[in-house]
Amino acid sequence: MRPPAAGHRIDVTGLTKHFGEVTALDDLTFSVRPGVVTGFLGPNGAGKTTTLRCLLGLVAPTSGSATVDGRLYRDLENPLSQVGAALEASSFHPGRSARAHLQVMALAAGLPRSRVDLLLGQVGLAEFADRRVGGYSLGMRQRLALAQALLGDPPVLVLDEPANGLDPAGIAWLRHFLRTLAGEGRTVLVSSHVLSEVQQTVDDIVVIARGRLVRQGSLASLDAGPAAVLVRTPTPDLLREALTEYAVQEVDGRLRVEGSTPAEVGHLAYTRGVELHELSAEASDLEKVFLTMTADSEGEVA
Amino acid sequence: MSAALVRSELRKITSTRLWWGLLIGVVIYTAIQSGANAALAGQDPGAGQPRTPALDTAQAIRTVYAGSAFQGAYIFAMILGITGMTGEYRYQTLTPTFLATPRRPRVVVAKMLAHLVVGIGYGMAAVLGALVVGGVVIAVRGFDLGYGADRLWASIGLAVLAVGLWTLLGIGIGTLIRNQVAAVLVAVFVTFLVEPLATFILSANDLDSIVQWLPTNASTALTSPGGGFVDYLAWWVGGLVLLGYAALLAGVGMLLSTRRDVT
Repeated sequence: MRPPAAGHRIDVTGLTKHFGEVTALDDLTFSVRPGVVTGFLGPNGAGKTTTLRCLLGLVAPTSGSATVDGRLYRDLENPLSQVGAALEASSFHPGRSARAHLQVMALAAGLPRSRVDLLLGQVGLAEFADRRVGGYSLGMRQRLALAQALLGDPPVLVLDEPANGLDPAGIAWLRHFLRTLAGEGRTVLVSSHVLSEVQQTVDDIVVIARGRLVRQGSLASLDAGPAAVLVRTPTPDLLREALTEYAVQEVDGRLRVEGSTPAEVGHLAYTRGVELHELSAEASDLEKVFLTMTADSEGEVA
Repeated sequence: MSAALVRSELRKITSTRLWWGLLIGVVIYTAIQSGANAALAGQDPGAGQPRTPALDTAQAIRTVYAGSAFQGAYIFAMILGITGMTGEYRYQTLTPTFLATPRRPRVVVAKMLAHLVVGIGYGMAAVLGALVVGGVVIAVRGFDLGYGADRLWASIGLAVLAVGLWTLLGIGIGTLIRNQVAAVLVAVFVTFLVEPLATFILSANDLDSIVQWLPTNASTALTSPGGGFVDYLAWWVGGLVLLGYAALLAGVGMLLSTRRDVT
């Protein structure tokens, strides 16, 4: 694959969309830079798909704009060679083969037929290419959607929930695939409603909820809060006396010790002779932060 | 609009199995129509109905070959157009379609041209079927095949064109009624039942001045001119009326499909 000549930006500016009474997007503004994978996150119904469809000229915004290098999708020459998109992986005729689907696209976009075979191989669908898509698993449809997105070898990629329906091996494959594409200098925007799904893939994040921007920045800027340790003991009262310096709560029959490490808690317990049955660091907490962040803006408690 | 875009739309049609299923329908239904028309020509239908022209008239020959070909094919052509449009909504393929070609009017024009081409193919297959099956029945009844009958080949050409135009009516219907099953049912119900019934009732009450403008009757006027149950329009007026219906429905289709959000 040729590396794109120059990086391309996606700019969403004051994007607003009403569907009748419903406000799907409310003055949404963010931008996406080239060369990294940007996660576009938010709960289901937050407006992610609507945003992407506005960007791709499929939905007309009520006001505001979504552009690639300042240009609307419909004004792009050979759009498939500029922006590749894989939206919800159901946009296939079940009676048409993967090869025919891509041929239809290639013909419409004026792309050479050789691209079709190349992409079918690249996403691992070559041996199923002439089967009707109706018999495909969700994972195979996701691969076909990716092949469609990459058909024109575009410098900008927009993928809506590409990890849906992939098994762990498929997710690992996708992760590597996306990192490679970003490494070639492409602009990659990937939506998901589950942070953990893209956590190891994305560099930047854009978080929205209820059609509004909640957070934009690097993944590292998502502050997971103070670390915590979970500990189980038959004598919680004794252990609490040893941990007066820390904030301690009881959670599901265990004690949750905030701002500490397993080594510290283990040491304190040892010095006081407190028996421990379990001692562990609390699992990575970004998902919780994400949920709190998006729930707050909905006025609900997570 | 480019030739490649039309080829893309043609590939859409030929890459699923529906088109040849409909083609089989065209051939079978045309065979029945032309066989029946040839068998019944000049016979007394009874019930006080007027006798149809005999097989030694050019009019009967045109009905057996051109009229039957149209009658046997146009509903299938319409269904092809309907499914060509509603399939894009039903399977959400409008999304990749408009991604590849965001200038939507081009897509709609290419889709119409592609369907017109396949529809004309259906018309030609129907003519072939009518010439064979109708011809066999005519020969069995001991009449001349009549392939040289007055204005026969003009009628045949117009029948083929009319079948093609019915795909455009179908595309228009498909944009108005996006539910595939509903669109096909409504369209077949109207063309198979409502229109013939309205023609029968209104015509029996001497209201031919109304029924002659219905799309199927205008098509019949175009394809097998002269005589028959209804006082048909002149063939060229029938052609213009059919063209008008196609343009109207296609125009509505263009307007709706280019403005709607694709969600």
